[in-house]
Amino acid sequence: MSSRRTSSPRIECRRTGCRILKMILAAAIHVAVSRTSLLAEVTFSKEIAPIVFANCTACHRPGEGAPFSLQTYADVKKRGELIGEVIASRQMPPWKAAAGDISFQNERRLSADQIHLFAQWIEAGMPEGDPAHLPPLPQFTAGWSLGEPDLIVTMPASFTVPADGPDIYRNFVVPLGLKTDRWVKAIDFRPRARSVVHHSLFFFESNGLARTLDEEDPQTGFKGGMGAMMRLRGGPPVLAADAAEEEATPSTGPQNGNGLNPLENIGKAKPATFGTLGGWALGARPQPLPEGLAYRLPAGSDLILATHFHPSGKTEEEASTVGIYFANEPITRRFTAIQLPTAFGAFKNIDIPPGKAEYVIEDSFALPVAVQAFGVGAHAHYLGKSMTMTATLPSGETRVLLSIPDWDFAWQEQYRFAEYLSLPQGTVLRSRITYDNSVDNPRNPSDPPVRVRFGEESTNEMGAVTLMVVAANESLMPQLLDGYRNHFRQSLLQTPLFRLFNLKK
Amino acid sequence: MLVRFFFRVICVFLLMSQGTVFSEPPAKRIEITDLAGETQTPLTVADRKASVLFFLLPDCPVSNAYAPEIKRISAEYARQNIASFVIYVDPALDPAGAKKHAADFGYETPLICDTSLQLVEATGVTIAPEVAVMSPQGKRLYRGRIDNLYAGLGKRRPQATQHDLRAALDAILSGKPVAHETTTAIGCFIEKRTPKAIRSK
Ligand code: HEC
Repeated sequence: MSSRRTSSPRIECRRTGCRILKMILAAAIHVAVSRTSLLAEVTFSKEIAPIVFANCTACHRPGEGAPFSLQTYADVKKRGELIGEVIASRQMPPWKAAAGDISFQNERRLSADQIHLFAQWIEAGMPEGDPAHLPPLPQFTAGWSLGEPDLIVTMPASFTVPADGPDIYRNFVVPLGLKTDRWVKAIDFRPRARSVVHHSLFFFESNGLARTLDEEDPQTGFKGGMGAMMRLRGGPPVLAADAAEEEATPSTGPQNGNGLNPLENIGKAKPATFGTLGGWALGARPQPLPEGLAYRLPAGSDLILATHFHPSGKTEEEASTVGIYFANEPITRRFTAIQLPTAFGAFKNIDIPPGKAEYVIEDSFALPVAVQAFGVGAHAHYLGKSMTMTATLPSGETRVLLSIPDWDFAWQEQYRFAEYLSLPQGTVLRSRITYDNSVDNPRNPSDPPVRVRFGEESTNEMGAVTLMVVAANESLMPQLLDGYRNHFRQSLLQTPLFRLFNLKK
Repeated sequence: MLVRFFFRVICVFLLMSQGTVFSEPPAKRIEITDLAGETQTPLTVADRKASVLFFLLPDCPVSNAYAPEIKRISAEYARQNIASFVIYVDPALDPAGAKKHAADFGYETPLICDTSLQLVEATGVTIAPEVAVMSPQGKRLYRGRIDNLYAGLGKRRPQATQHDLRAALDAILSGKPVAHETTTAIGCFIEKRTPKAIRSK
């Protein structure tokens, strides 16, 4: 931005009125001149196209999930004002995490300068500028972005998504026909009806339970939600860490373990007949696990797609295709999830009075060993308002690992750190989740608001922030898991729920 | 610049002296050919109790999400002698594109491409989806949202809790005044300065 100097015009004045007029005139000319010199510089070809191509076109192009293309001057100009509004409110690009202390992979966020530039461009009447300055349109890999998958499977039958009504959560069973155990590095996902598929979480199940649930339900797949997941797990989850023999990690989707009635299983090593395999969200590129890590996929497993649909106004048929990438060699390094509060807040006695605009749950955990964190995610339902996780290092320094100031249930994302984040032994992790059960929360499913307690349905609440870690050294892993298990037990002992169960027994 | 300013001042002055500045003058009768080739006068439908104009943009997700409710309202109120029109307000949309969109979403009301945005201008709508309800004489009885399903862009409620358009139509049918003559619609802006020639693929 150049700041050309503007000389004020010469007007001779004697009377005050004239002097004021002169001042006004000078100011007006100054504003006019500096504005034109400033605005003249913002053009689509030079300043705006690079922003759009880098931040919008991945989703806003033919065949992707966003409603229209943003690839040309005409595309952008046509909706200029709308774009100005959705980027100023940070609705677009969709990225719920606030700028924190750690940078993420594939971060989609515009800087304040970029947003300002856009506003200037709109005000200037959206000039095109010289097309010679236009950067090349980004090239997107046609087909599978990680290359040809090792295994490609498609839902055996399609599912009909109605034209309207509330969002739909549905689980689909896809047989994989694997004869031996495999290690999964990444899964890529291709919806057929892109305008309605919002996200999908992947699980495996190797006892045939999912097939039974599918058969019991007359439509394709079976009803999503936590209840179904508990049945698949063959009971409630114990620890995030135990859920799949400690190497697999829960992601933060609604179908994950909530630790209901965890007493029976505590401390038991569970056979890994059910576990997570990551997930996909609209616009996300498939993110392979960090080098040397993989999910174990037992022989004979079915793949379960827990898919979230947004009705679009038009009936659609969905039959997703999935591409799976295997690791060649067996994996020796384990990773785990540190979920705070434990069990999605099951022991936090969540009980939110109607009308309460800020209800808080918190948890903290001191790391028993040094770890390296590679990702973080959050989960709550419709009343969720904000979530944060911080790490206070032994030095006293506090770093924000994740902050979501305006939680939106529709955009559940796994945030992967740009690089491993080292957290020394003794680091205290703290999570804080707030809920808004007032009428002012437009996402409140009840109008007027009602009392909301912990539970699996989307009209109940739960909440946690989950950090994905490896122990700094594989040999420290047992200590890490023990430490977290201990924290889990402590949380459990403090809950009224626990006393309830005790009385029953 | 200055001339225009004075012109405006004079206009306002004239309007004020006539005392008509705050009352909505009846819209002029606009004849427009719908996509089936029929001549329509959507602002002044003489033989009906009222007409509803649904202003839509085919690539706006909010506009599309309303399709089922628009169809339900059109069908239910057609039985009570209220006419409905789907008005496409994208000047770059050609008739074939409009017909395809209407077929995809199952609209059965008369379809109009308001290419010159004359209906937009006459009703004062600015958003898609937004509706205008007109009396047979061309008086605007309601303008605004269909319901409150969206609290803001990207903020969709699990279900609508206020059904403003239905409430307005029910009031009209029972001869009562419409409670809120205008409401704020949420959706995509109707861009008034779209270059005509440019079409993007
Ligand atoms: C991750 C994919 C993704 C990216 C990146 C993205 N969008 Fe979107 N955009 C969407 C989806 C999906 C919708 C449809 C609305 C929804 O589902 O929330 C949308 C809707 C919109 C809308 C319509 C408003 C609405 O609420 O319906 C505008 C305007 C828009 N995007 C502009 C942009 C701009 C400008 C950028 C870049 C700065 C961008 N988008 C980046 C996915 C994306």
